[in-house]
Amino acid sequence: MKTATTNKKIRSRRSLSRNDKFTLAAFIGIPTLMQIIFLWLPALITIVLSFTYWNGINVSDIKWAGLANYKNIFFGTPVFYEALKNNLIWLLWFTFIATPLGILLAYQIDRKIKGHKIYETVFYIPVVLSLAIIGIIWNFMLQPGGFVQGVMGRDIGNAVSIWGNYSINTYVIMGVASWRHIGYIMLLYLAGLKSVDPSLREASAIDGATEWQTFKKIILPTMRPVNIIIVVITIIESLRAFDLVYIIYGTSTAWPLLNILVFQNFAGQGISMKGAAYAVILLVLCIGPILLYLRNVFKEDLK
Amino acid sequence: MSDVNNGISRRSVLKGAAIGGVGLAAGGSLLAGCGKKKVTGDVHFTIRGNLSDAGAKINVAVNEAYTAKTGNKVISQAVNSDDFQNNFVQIMQGTPDDAFGWMAGWRTNARADAGLLADVSEQVKALGSTLSAAAIQGATNPKDGKQYIIPTTYYPWGLHYRKSTMQELGLDPENIATWDDLIKLCEATQKKGLVGYAMGDKGGWEAMGTFDIINMRLNGYQFHIDLLNGKEQWTDAKVVDVFTHMGQLIPYMNKNFLDIEWDGCRDLLLQKKAGAMMMGSWFANDFKAKSQADYDDLWIVAFPEMNPEHGIDSIDAPLDGVSVAANAKNVEGGADLAQFWGSKEGIDAAVAAGDTSIYISSEFDTSTYDAFNKQKLAVLGEAKNIGFFLDRDTRGDFAGPVVGPALQSFLKNPKDVTKILENVQKQWDALPAL
Repeated sequence: MKTATTNKKIRSRRSLSRNDKFTLAAFIGIPTLMQIIFLWLPALITIVLSFTYWNGINVSDIKWAGLANYKNIFFGTPVFYEALKNNLIWLLWFTFIATPLGILLAYQIDRKIKGHKIYETVFYIPVVLSLAIIGIIWNFMLQPGGFVQGVMGRDIGNAVSIWGNYSINTYVIMGVASWRHIGYIMLLYLAGLKSVDPSLREASAIDGATEWQTFKKIILPTMRPVNIIIVVITIIESLRAFDLVYIIYGTSTAWPLLNILVFQNFAGQGISMKGAAYAVILLVLCIGPILLYLRNVFKEDLK
Repeated sequence: MSDVNNGISRRSVLKGAAIGGVGLAAGGSLLAGCGKKKVTGDVHFTIRGNLSDAGAKINVAVNEAYTAKTGNKVISQAVNSDDFQNNFVQIMQGTPDDAFGWMAGWRTNARADAGLLADVSEQVKALGSTLSAAAIQGATNPKDGKQYIIPTTYYPWGLHYRKSTMQELGLDPENIATWDDLIKLCEATQKKGLVGYAMGDKGGWEAMGTFDIINMRLNGYQFHIDLLNGKEQWTDAKVVDVFTHMGQLIPYMNKNFLDIEWDGCRDLLLQKKAGAMMMGSWFANDFKAKSQADYDDLWIVAFPEMNPEHGIDSIDAPLDGVSVAANAKNVEGGADLAQFWGSKEGIDAAVAAGDTSIYISSEFDTSTYDAFNKQKLAVLGEAKNIGFFLDRDTRGDFAGPVVGPALQSFLKNPKDVTKILENVQKQWDALPAL
């Protein structure tokens, strides 16, 4: 009797019991089902709707439009190219300025330079705020009648034009967005750096490598997985940018982004499936980095 | 359409009663909604704006007066006006409040066609002759001849200024009869270090007021309405001419017109930093809330004549009112509250709370109007044709997403006008048939 029960126990540990199967099925099944219902289904519907005319109210009013919405966007809507340009600027700025700055900061802090704890905290603080909150803060500071304008002694009439000044507003927005992004990247990279074997660094120092050589030849290659995640995050953050600009400009597309156009054309004053078409364009632009990210994640798992 | 969505409409109740037990099982609350019987039940009301605004306080006062009269509790909630408009379709399809302040024109008619708003023709009929024929006409959906909004107030779009500022500058805006006069006025104001023509177009819609009036002055009301409904071309030389004139105003605008919204403009005027401002008179409530002296200092004149053929025969005077959601829990209650808003008691409550609006109801005693309101009526009286404002006179997928950005790009780069107008026309052509 005794041996029989232990045998059973061992067997049940190897193969999955009914209970385990149920647990596993629930753990995988429920999230998958939710993904399908709340993500894949709406995404597919959006793709289909982007080829139709519809005002978003009665399903019976949906009319087939073919490629008309896309034609309208690509050939008739100059604001689309402005949005694309702004998204591209956002991407370039993040890729070549904000992200490298975050990496360098992380590297310096990891070397435990003097006061590194203070730097870490200072740069990390904006990360706990959502971009929407950051939008509210900076809008409050910089808008006519805002805090900074007040400190400079400017009232509404002669306030320094910032959000409406097209030679600087892009850079101000980039600066505000970077304020958070730099800290975010720093944090990610710092976590990665902690896992780098310190002996690697010591060895390269013994071999007489300079700091830059160590960083370029030793740290960067060992950090490859983190690097890819950071690249993907940078790309996706740039393409999905919305909240910060929405807080500042509303739906007026005074400083358009693809996501603002999606929202503007989906929102109630003038719902049209042009919004769906914008969403599909954005999806196509995002899908490349997402695939790259997934491939990397799966490769890690296989290892 | 609304009979289908609105489960407790009179017809369905009667039908239920005819069948017999089914109707009775539906309960007393449905039957109570019938006929001229007293309407009961809590009513939910959406106020567009912040609760701290002068306008919202007036809303609350009217709703409280309704409760005092009928004993029906009104639960008011304030919602950011832009958010409410942006999400209107979603809100109406979900669980909307019974009644809410709304705007006549395209925004009402298109949503009524889609079955989102309840028919309030009966309530309009009950208000009867207290509403002018023109107001009822303005509130009527051309597709089915019914009303989906109880019209309550309207206001003119005109040139606003402060009497004291103009006096200090030695200017007399009462006598701006022509376009050249207006430019001269702007120039003189600017020379004294003030903003000549206050503009804030960050919101994207504010400049539509200036476009509307110049188009109506130059090309007439009919051309304007035809243009907004696709019967005229945006590339027409007549439209280019409108933009050319608008461009002449840009040098007199505050440089930060894309930094501020309408309320920034209002503050410019309130703080005596601007001469003239083209705006709807609704903001006068804010002047009154600031101080009576500020309000007494405010004045409005009609935009000057630009083409003798049309004189000053047209004006933007949007009609506001109260609508009822077809999907609401208490449609009858909402409609009853809406009717109260249009009645003498409702108006009295609003005025007592400091409302400076012009009421449509003939029961409202215009002799009690203050000087500013009398002037508003005078400005309105000069016009034969009433526009509702661009975003109510044309379809929603055109006004906000197309005309708004086009006006902003024009203000930024007036030289690009040809390209901008070509694109507007292209985008109109790409719109699906309604």
